Amino acid sequence: MPDNKDFDVIIIGGGITGAGTARDCAMRGLKVLLIERGDIATGATGRNHGLLHSGARYAVKDSESAEECIRENKILRSIASNCVEDTGGLFITLPEDEDAGFGLDYQKKFLEACNKAGIEARAISPAEAKSMEPSVNPALIGAVVVPDGSVDPFRLCTANVTDAALHGAKILVYTEFLDFIREGDTILGVKVLDTRTGVKAEYRAPVTVNAAGIWGHGVAQKAGINIGMYPAKGALLVFGHRVNNVVINRCRKSADGDILVPGDSVTVIGTTSTKVPFEECDNMEVTPDEVRLLLREGCALCPALATTRILRAYAGVRPLVADDSDPTGRSISRGIVCLDHETRDGVKGFVSITGGKLMTYRLMAELATDAVCSKLGVNKSCQTADTPLPGSVDGRIQTNSKRFEGKPTLGQKSAAGRQGDLVGKIHFESEADKQLVCECENVTLAEIKYAVKELGVRNLEDLRRRTRVGMGTCQGTLCIRKAAKALAEALGDPSAAPKLAADYLDERWKGMRAVGWGDTLREMEFMQRVYKFEKPYSYDEI
Amino acid sequence: MMKFDVVIIGGGLAGMTAATELQKSGLKCAVVSEGLSLHNPSAREFKTAGGTLLNGDSVTGGTFKDGRLQSVTTQKLGDVSLEADNFILATGKYFSRGLVADMDCVYEPLFGLDVQYDKDRSTWFDPSFSAPQRFLDFGVIAKEGKALKDGETVDNLYPVGEVLCGISSSQSDATDRIRLSALEAVKSIRRI
Repeated sequence: MPDNKDFDVIIIGGGITGAGTARDCAMRGLKVLLIERGDIATGATGRNHGLLHSGARYAVKDSESAEECIRENKILRSIASNCVEDTGGLFITLPEDEDAGFGLDYQKKFLEACNKAGIEARAISPAEAKSMEPSVNPALIGAVVVPDGSVDPFRLCTANVTDAALHGAKILVYTEFLDFIREGDTILGVKVLDTRTGVKAEYRAPVTVNAAGIWGHGVAQKAGINIGMYPAKGALLVFGHRVNNVVINRCRKSADGDILVPGDSVTVIGTTSTKVPFEECDNMEVTPDEVRLLLREGCALCPALATTRILRAYAGVRPLVADDSDPTGRSISRGIVCLDHETRDGVKGFVSITGGKLMTYRLMAELATDAVCSKLGVNKSCQTADTPLPGSVDGRIQTNSKRFEGKPTLGQKSAAGRQGDLVGKIHFESEADKQLVCECENVTLAEIKYAVKELGVRNLEDLRRRTRVGMGTCQGTLCIRKAAKALAEALGDPSAAPKLAADYLDERWKGMRAVGWGDTLREMEFMQRVYKFEKPYSYDEI
Repeated sequence: MMKFDVVIIGGGLAGMTAATELQKSGLKCAVVSEGLSLHNPSAREFKTAGGTLLNGDSVTGGTFKDGRLQSVTTQKLGDVSLEADNFILATGKYFSRGLVADMDCVYEPLFGLDVQYDKDRSTWFDPSFSAPQRFLDFGVIAKEGKALKDGETVDNLYPVGEVLCGISSSQSDATDRIRLSALEAVKSIRRI
């Protein structure tokens, strides 16, 4: 477009921060463009615990973060009810913590700090803790109950993107940022590449927001700006079933592998923290040492993990920011960093929003949008804390299941849990539509069709992020052929099915390779057998 | 104690092929099968030929003497051991627990037989799911068809099918290889 201004604001990055910022900007009446080089939620957004922090973890050391967390915790419960599960959380004290100086004296300090930050925390006896969460390490000597929960980051990100689009935002996925359009010290827009078609394009806006997570380092560099980022890899393990129903944390100074979160049909232990080079951020592999460490620490929280099949391992990179005044990068903030590059670096029309965490994405988006609005001279207040996200107007599965005729099937109930009040848009026209494609996560053919039509799904990974297809116990072993066929047909190209399945299996394989022994290796052999024995990738008989 | 000519451990394609052939050639055979991978067509043939099928049972261990496996015990038979002149090990790979992998090694869990595998874990898998996978080549080592334990030949124990190194169901000619290994063992036992 030759026009000097296509949009009011361009947001780079389709993770939760970018998605939230797009929503906030669009709700304040701005004309928004969001560009994302892959699919939404492909970076750190989709590679974390999925923990709805109560903030208790930060209470002792960082009361500001703790207060932020509990405020956002309460907000997310009301605006994103279909993405959140109220599991409750425990902070347990083990006998060995006593020796390390984190015994029951520390628990008292922890309780005080929690209450000061506004986190409802109360100590319970070990017996009560065991009856609340039978899988907890029975050796515990103390426990504190906190309002932790779990959150589905994929669903949360999708809901933000969907709502941004409903408010008029343009969303371009598989669109890579190449460079800025720049005139003197002013950023005028972005040059992008459609990674599927290879077509380049330019978009202009008076303000560009860098919300690219750890990749924001490279984005800022294109503007000649250095943000002292510190890529901290965090590795996590997914277990084969829901071992615990309550989030289990260790009541001590934050360390590796001390949070165990139940989410949908599985349990996740994490995480580690290691600095990695920027070049490695695109391809994180979990190392045997990380797995050993996570298993050891995980078993201290919940001994049953020692004998539970590990489904897969994955890792994300936290976009931590070193303090501007400290070039060594030692004083790392986990807080939100919103940089106006005009005042900081003399570059006009450019804002970076980084640091922070999944839990505080809405607040990050609010801060970024405030910065954008002040640049544009727009005087509108933020509404995102009070306006429910799509799917969350009524989050109760029972209510949403009633949107179907007759008694809801298992697949319909699961869809109601995932898509919230948007399930009304899923059309179960025939009996075939009610058929389960993924039997671990109860995903129906109708939900797949809906995801293609309404949620911009293009491949099985996209579909997984929106419906959880193939994320359960079998890791796609038993369903991916069916899912690939259904998806290919919904996309209008049935011949694409083998390629869709092959790409998906490579991605699952990556996560399994890191934990390829014991029962996981048995599953891997089984997977090879299912897909290779006699007729590889034969779709005729499905 | 129960006495047989041959005890076959594992009732999948490999074990059942060997058992049926041996039973039909007049040897008294018993098959111990956990049941999950029981090869039904040949199991029927085996029983018709008078073979003993201990389905739903599993071998727990064995007694060795002078380089020979003397007898094995099973979960259900308890103290009553199964004695035989020859044994066939057809327990398959990881899925059927013929092989067990932990973080650092692969082992044969019943008798601790010598196993061929890569010490370096990084070679076990190919990043591409559809490429050949090294870990599927691992398995029990056979010398002239017989198993090795601590480097020494076990004279009357014949590993067949997927428990062997070099045979896996992901190979396109897997069925032929599995059957062939079973028939080789049958030939050796008949010759005795």
